[in-house]
Amino acid sequence: MKLVEEVTEDVTIVEAYGRLDSTTATEFGDRLISLVQGGRRSLVVDLKNIAYISSAGFRALLIANRATAEKQGKLALCGVIGEVKRLFDIGNFTDEFLICPTQAEGIGRLRQ
Amino acid sequence: MATGIPSRAGSSGPREIRIGNHMSEIARVAAMVESFGADHELPSEVIVALNVSLDEILNNIISYAYEDAERHDIVVRLEMRHERYADLEVVVEDDGKAFNPLTVPPPDFGAKPRADGGVGLHFVRKLTDELTYSRRDGINQLRLVKKLAE
Repeated sequence: MKLVEEVTEDVTIVEAYGRLDSTTATEFGDRLISLVQGGRRSLVVDLKNIAYISSAGFRALLIANRATAEKQGKLALCGVIGEVKRLFDIGNFTDEFLICPTQAEGIGRLRQ
Repeated sequence: MATGIPSRAGSSGPREIRIGNHMSEIARVAAMVESFGADHELPSEVIVALNVSLDEILNNIISYAYEDAERHDIVVRLEMRHERYADLEVVVEDDGKAFNPLTVPPPDFGAKPRADGGVGLHFVRKLTDELTYSRRDGINQLRLVKKLAE
């Protein structure tokens, strides 16, 4: 798992690479929570380079989503495509998140 | 934990790995599945189905199967079969307490707020074509079959 972060004035973009599973979910979730607790309340998480997400990864995403909401922030996901999209559908997770087609649209939604 | 089938080197035979009961060990299984998938030119959909299923099963075993703090071995075996049609058999064996994952009820998707648990085995059921559990001589054996072609 590799995370690449880009900080703009008000939105932080996190691009995740690799597998989001039992071995990486804790590191991934902890990083998102620490961004939120550090005052970065608008997060766009780009999943287009993630090979797959298991339930451990979805749990980390749900927790980060709640932590952001508790700080009156917003979390948007983008790059939900291919196998990852299929896993969102199978796990019934699509309605749990703000999902945008691209990073730019995610940033736009968070600035509304 | 003897399994009878020796692991063979080479790209076409069955592949077997023995891991310890630690979450980080799952990465070695994922790497084996990817290398097996590349050798057999499996579609990414199949590799993802196997890796997500194995992550759920191994996470369950490592989290809940052991009541002591000892090291335990978990064996994962992959085999291509070409009988009536091509499919892939995955066998997971552990010496933890008896647990039949097929008895776990499906998750309640209507629950609000969304419950965190229960979705792991739902993924396994949806991503595989056959699931069989047995327990013999203190060993749990879970067998998964993924069809490759009709």
